[in-house]
Amino acid sequence: MKKAILSGLALLVVAASVSACGGSDNKSNEDAASSNNSTETKTTDSTPAKEETAAEEVIDPFAKFAEPTEVSIGRAIDPNYKYDGTDTAEDNVYTRWLKDKYNIVVKHAWEAASGNDYQQKVSLAISSNDLPDALVVNETQLRQMVKAGQLADLTDVYDKYASSELKAVYDSNPGLLDSVTFDGKLYALPETTLPSAPMTWIRKDWLDKLNLEAPKSLEDLGKIAQAFIDNKMGGDKTVGIVGTQQGGSLSSNFLASTDHWYNFSPLFFANDAYPGIWVKDKDGNAVYGSITEETKNALAMMKDWYAKGILDKELGIRKSTAEVVASGQTGIFFGPWWSAYNLSDSMKNDPNANWRPYIAPLDAAGKFNSNQATGSSYIVVSKKAKHPEAVIKMTTLHKWGKDEEYKTLTAGKEMTSQEVPLFLILGAGDQLEYAVNHLRQYLKDEIKLEDIDNINYGWAHEMATHVKAIKKEPFDNYDIQYFDQQADTGFFTHIYAHLNGGSTFVDADINWVRSIATAQTKTMESRWTNLKKLEDETFFKIIMGTEDISAFDTFVTKWKDQGGDKITEEVNELK
Amino acid sequence: MIPKSFSKHFYIMLIPGLVWLALFNLYPMYGVLTAFKEFNPGLGIWKSPWVGMENFQYMFELDDSKLVFRNTVVIAFAKMVGNLLVPFVFALMLNEVKNRLLTRTVQTVVYLPHFLSWVIVAGMMLDIFSYSGPVNQVLSGLGLDPIMFFGNAHIFPALVVGSDVWKEFGFNAIIFFSALTSINPEMYEAAAVDGASQWQRLIKITIPSIIPVAALLATLSLGNILNAGFDQIFNMYNPSVYSTGDIVDTWVYRAGLIDFQYGLATAVGLLKSVVGLVLITISYTLAYRFANYRIF
Repeated sequence: MKKAILSGLALLVVAASVSACGGSDNKSNEDAASSNNSTETKTTDSTPAKEETAAEEVIDPFAKFAEPTEVSIGRAIDPNYKYDGTDTAEDNVYTRWLKDKYNIVVKHAWEAASGNDYQQKVSLAISSNDLPDALVVNETQLRQMVKAGQLADLTDVYDKYASSELKAVYDSNPGLLDSVTFDGKLYALPETTLPSAPMTWIRKDWLDKLNLEAPKSLEDLGKIAQAFIDNKMGGDKTVGIVGTQQGGSLSSNFLASTDHWYNFSPLFFANDAYPGIWVKDKDGNAVYGSITEETKNALAMMKDWYAKGILDKELGIRKSTAEVVASGQTGIFFGPWWSAYNLSDSMKNDPNANWRPYIAPLDAAGKFNSNQATGSSYIVVSKKAKHPEAVIKMTTLHKWGKDEEYKTLTAGKEMTSQEVPLFLILGAGDQLEYAVNHLRQYLKDEIKLEDIDNINYGWAHEMATHVKAIKKEPFDNYDIQYFDQQADTGFFTHIYAHLNGGSTFVDADINWVRSIATAQTKTMESRWTNLKKLEDETFFKIIMGTEDISAFDTFVTKWKDQGGDKITEEVNELK
Repeated sequence: MIPKSFSKHFYIMLIPGLVWLALFNLYPMYGVLTAFKEFNPGLGIWKSPWVGMENFQYMFELDDSKLVFRNTVVIAFAKMVGNLLVPFVFALMLNEVKNRLLTRTVQTVVYLPHFLSWVIVAGMMLDIFSYSGPVNQVLSGLGLDPIMFFGNAHIFPALVVGSDVWKEFGFNAIIFFSALTSINPEMYEAAAVDGASQWQRLIKITIPSIIPVAALLATLSLGNILNAGFDQIFNMYNPSVYSTGDIVDTWVYRAGLIDFQYGLATAVGLLKSVVGLVLITISYTLAYRFANYRIF
């Protein structure tokens, strides 16, 4: 114990001497840090504190801590995830590797099921000011924590301990670090959000059986859903299109983007409606997407579809949409390219389940619209944390620390967010596009393995080494029967998701619509609970038929009166 | 005069109860300050800036606050009535069954749901009343259109009250059973000798004997009139039933923990506590007056 405290103090001295140097030295620190990366000096870890010289001291982001360094975290757990043997989220191949190789000991302050439970637990931790050393949070929570002054300023630690690769990634995503810099202080490590638009996922095996064409318009989609129901493709209880489950929202909004997974965003987008985000009207003024005429039209259409039984009769009530998809009761849902990662249960129940994504439905002008998801994940470090540098190191190691030893230990299995603590998606902005395109070219032998950039696109390179065992000919057909699911189980889902979901998305021509506001304005802070409730209630009631479509106009009036107009003014000032 | 040694251990036995009270009921009172502040978790409750009655003013401006209070009272009151009447009638009926094995079995079976958590019961209810669930299958068998029970704001409160009564009536009946067994059997024997029928004995002896217990339970439950059951509703509701199903506790949860409006959420919670306190005082006074029930 005493030893641990001492080493903690030693590291604190380093941190203190760095911050004592002040802002003017920052530039030279950065230079020092980046230059030492290139020289790969691995001798400095044994001399942690040298008082004044510490600032200029070369720090190797890949060095082992001299003493076991503990980092407590709150952790989101997938209750259905199966670990190898007796492994757990806290003690598995990855965490043991971190401990043995780098002396980073990850302790769980608490665990919660990923999704709502985890978000709730994080919010509770913020409110009670009882934070573990590090957490993965969403944007609203990040802002709340910054406002409450609960976070550690990571500016110096990042400069010193982030590897050149990590810095390169953030440099290639311009503006990303600025978005988490408040008053000149860096408060979080943001995820390099992969772009995502909701596509329509359809059971192609069902389409083929019924001799149906892939959908283009809303009308096509409605007809396909109707045909699936009429022909009882999923049994007597076939559900046309599934989406929102209990506690979920109809579409993603500017504050909490659910990445469009399992909701009904595309039905709005195909009507040129963008509920939940702030868009520009004809005159260029900000307007809230949920109160536009287009949204009204979309709701009227959804109301009609619901009445016909095309939309899930239990939308918003059902406990788990995933269950319906897995059990083969439905053939259509909406989701981003990575939805393919979550189809394994469905394929387990029915090996013929051939889920394919479609760039549909298109709007009247034939465009495929999507709002740009704003929500993202952030690693934050508590002000009280003793070793913020360990968190930075973990982030670097997760991406770039994988040596031969690691590969032996994990036996080629790709670690997921369930093994890796503080999991963050990091990569160059065009990561997905690069990976998908190079995988395709590599399959066709148009390029060699060495042509894939292993330094900046390590993940693409890694996948390429596995892709040939998994993907069968024809290489440009991504139906499930042209994948070997058993050959390389550790990589199958990755390859499947990238080739099946990723390729469709990468090739698509998408009309992106961005929200003008991406955070709460002053009035929103007090009024939003009320306005959001009004919106959710009205929309659900209209769709489910308990209210007439005219309720929409009442909603708009009320929304404006109860603070909406004031908020719109504030958002207009943001433009 | 009670000997000293006698009273002492009663006080000692009181300690765990007092500790519990202090930890869970007195200590959190400090947090009530949040209602008058702009709470900042980083500063803590004490150092956060005061805002006076701003949170309360805003609360009374909101249509929502009236609505959630109304919903809470309606649901809680209906639960109170249901949780009193159903176990009462059930206990009387079961009391007439003479087969002891049957009585015991039924008693055990009906109080089992009490031990299930709402997460499970709500999941069951959602399935039973789902669009293709058993209830709707029966309806369609009768040639009726299926009903979206949990999506209908008119039906939702009935489902909430009904499922709560279903879950709790077996357990609540226990107290009536014990009241029934304490009725002096000589009264029944005397009535039988005088030629009273089974029905007359029920009306004239059994019911009057357990009415005081029922009255006591009724008055005591008044204090719960603002507890409509967060666990239950949180697991059952959805936006389309907000107008009748959103209660104070679920609203406070959304405002406080999802939207971080701590002050407002605490103000609403505090108002709930104040009204609850008044009601408990009333119910205690009534219980004392009519059933001679005393705590101290």
